Amino acid sequence: MSSHREAPEISKDPVADSTDLYAFVSPDKPDTVTLIANYIPLQQPAGGPNFYEFGDDVLYEIHIDNNGDGRADISYQFTFHTTLTTPGSFLYNTGPIGSLSDPHWNSKQFYQVTVLEGLEARILGRNLACPPCNVGILSTPNYEVNLGHPAVHALPGGVQVFAGQRAEEFYVDLGSIFDLGNLRPLQEANVFGKLAGLMAAPGVNATDRLNVHSIAIQVPISQLTAPGHPTIGVWTTASRQRVQVLGEEEGRGFASGPFSQVSRLGNPLFNEVIVPLGKKDYWNTQQPVNDKQFASFVANPELASLLPVLYPGAFPHLAALDKAGTARADLEAILLTGIPPGLINGFTNFTGPVQADMLRLNTSIPPTPSDSVKFSILGLIGGDAAGFPNGRRVTDDVVTIELRAIAGVVYPLIDHAYVVDTVVADVTDGLTGTSVTNQPLTVFPYMGIPYDGYHNPS
Amino acid sequence: MAATALAGTAAPALAAARQPMTPEARGTETGAQDARVADPIVVHLRDASSGEIDVFRGTRQIRLRDPELAARLVRASR
Repeated sequence: MSSHREAPEISKDPVADSTDLYAFVSPDKPDTVTLIANYIPLQQPAGGPNFYEFGDDVLYEIHIDNNGDGRADISYQFTFHTTLTTPGSFLYNTGPIGSLSDPHWNSKQFYQVTVLEGLEARILGRNLACPPCNVGILSTPNYEVNLGHPAVHALPGGVQVFAGQRAEEFYVDLGSIFDLGNLRPLQEANVFGKLAGLMAAPGVNATDRLNVHSIAIQVPISQLTAPGHPTIGVWTTASRQRVQVLGEEEGRGFASGPFSQVSRLGNPLFNEVIVPLGKKDYWNTQQPVNDKQFASFVANPELASLLPVLYPGAFPHLAALDKAGTARADLEAILLTGIPPGLINGFTNFTGPVQADMLRLNTSIPPTPSDSVKFSILGLIGGDAAGFPNGRRVTDDVVTIELRAIAGVVYPLIDHAYVVDTVVADVTDGLTGTSVTNQPLTVFPYMGIPYDGYHNPS
Repeated sequence: MAATALAGTAAPALAAARQPMTPEARGTETGAQDARVADPIVVHLRDASSGEIDVFRGTRQIRLRDPELAARLVRASR
């Protein structure tokens, strides 16, 4: 959940709250790209009696910009509807759920996928079944075989799609990081940690054994890119109708009017740690093409000025950079335009001068096999050009990557004379991909099997 | 496209940023519908003095200027 509960208003609307966005060349099908947009954060597996589901009144979208103007050229729309098999029962399921069509499953959810390209709208799939939530060993036995895998749908044109509950794969020591910027492995150097007598400790993955809802779509690269332009910009949005009337007949209500964007996500942690509190709700309503208005927060990020204060004496070069007020062109490149050619040998994900927060994926860079010595969860700063910020893979350690980037690890690309503070190599919240109990899958939809409530009651 | 100032004349439907492009893709009603009206209509009186009114129906928003209607709405809401 790199972007969960990241703004005041959306934190009160979990169903429309985007948590993570992934975009990568599929490792097992390298002629395709997989896009995953996660919603509904911090799901306790024991989530009954009304288990988590997508909003029937929410318009979920994944957008692609393939010409660098910060506007959507292709949009995939996902809309959902719920049906009750046994409306007279209070139960989510009246017996074991053995298949997606099992009559024991009371509250079923289905969805439609529509692709918009230019003036054309095409329905790719209708009445596609979501899997149920992973309730427990009695209700949803043999979950992945019976329910998870069958919920992967093949669509025309070599497209695959999935929408439903999965294991949260984003790892972060939430309890520590948002406790005055504390990193457990470095907390004895944290000015407040020192006062509290804290000693260095391993990170704690606050999102382990929690679930999330994933919308995943795998598309041939040829359907996404413009000729001669292998890099695409990706972001996800959620929208609600402008008017809601509550408490009508039978206690239910209705929505009316055009859809209005209430949530969006491109790069991980952008709205969470870059945009100030007073602008976060507004940022969620904006299109990437308008992100120049937020560029100053990237150029002079608050977190960069806090690190030397929180860890006195540890970031002298960063402190000098902050004091000089120099715009962080390195961060602007990573987050707003992509890295132009010539800065890093053999790599670019530059989309052009339009400043826009999008996840930028150069589809011409092949995936790095996970068992290769070249594979690194630190992505580009770890020497692995197939990882973040070149798109984002499920296992990329975006927390460590972005912390180190803000701390100046790539600033020498802009100023060759700049010396990175020694401590930057140790900046981490202490977690890796092994900090997640249910590991990602090696096939689509790549997000791991959701935790069940029986074995994970709290 | 300029909105007309004539009383009771509807302005063009406001262009919305993103809409489901097909009727089936709408997530309009969340519950029971009023059987007397296919799509419920919601009216927002934006400015009583000028008579600027937004009418919401389905996934559309229509802005019109009707001072007489606005005045009736104000009286009815007292």
